[in-house]
Amino acid sequence: MLASVLIALFGVFISSISQVMLKKSAMAKHDSALGEYLNPLVIGAYALFVGATLCSVIAFRQIPLSMGPILDATGYFYVVLFGITIFHEKIDRTKILALAIIIAGVLIYSSGV
Amino acid sequence: MTDRRTEGSTANGGSGRGFTYLLLHLLLVIYSLNGICSKLASQHPIMSPQFILFYGCGIMFLGIYAIGWQQVIKRLPLTTAYANRAVTVAWGIVWGILIFHEPFNLAKTVGALVVLVGVALYAWADGRAQEQEDDATC
Repeated sequence: MLASVLIALFGVFISSISQVMLKKSAMAKHDSALGEYLNPLVIGAYALFVGATLCSVIAFRQIPLSMGPILDATGYFYVVLFGITIFHEKIDRTKILALAIIIAGVLIYSSGV
Repeated sequence: MTDRRTEGSTANGGSGRGFTYLLLHLLLVIYSLNGICSKLASQHPIMSPQFILFYGCGIMFLGIYAIGWQQVIKRLPLTTAYANRAVTVAWGIVWGILIFHEPFNLAKTVGALVVLVGVALYAWADGRAQEQEDDATC
């Protein structure tokens, strides 16, 4: 079960990375409309996204369906982490509190599985 | 709330906004169906016909959701849309019980409610931060 949870969390992690790659691509200048989609960042992002969906399928062999969206919520943690480290965004205390609540909720839920 | 462009586009009357919320929640149900397909796919060997069928259906639901989501965030503030996404936690529980007969207990209920509160608080904080950023640039 623990291995499946870790696989699911890894899937959420690489899905968040794919979002960062899409955002990076959206911020860059492209020569053509086609270039906005057919570039290494976007293609790599969608490849990672497919990998993330496969992770969730493998994880669902062990974890209950209801746990999927719960683990998905950890994505907010990565969004904040990448926002700070890559896009140099600021984070306020309320968001830190919200993340702590989400993580606490995940732990409480997991204790009941 | 936070996006002035979106505010303008939602000022076309209550029925339009109500329709957008209906569309949003319909999309969130579709998004949650991806979980059912993933769970069903997980019960078959990888690359078996059943696996490909269920996995393909899951990707299709994600595709429909992605197209619809773009339309929703044109009409609603992004943070409002994100806050509503928390409802997928509830759908996961409902499908888990109804289709896969997953047991439910107090810890799961409390944990899911705490996650819902955290997601809603995050969305609210994000909206407030965006509002302050918009005011600073005006």
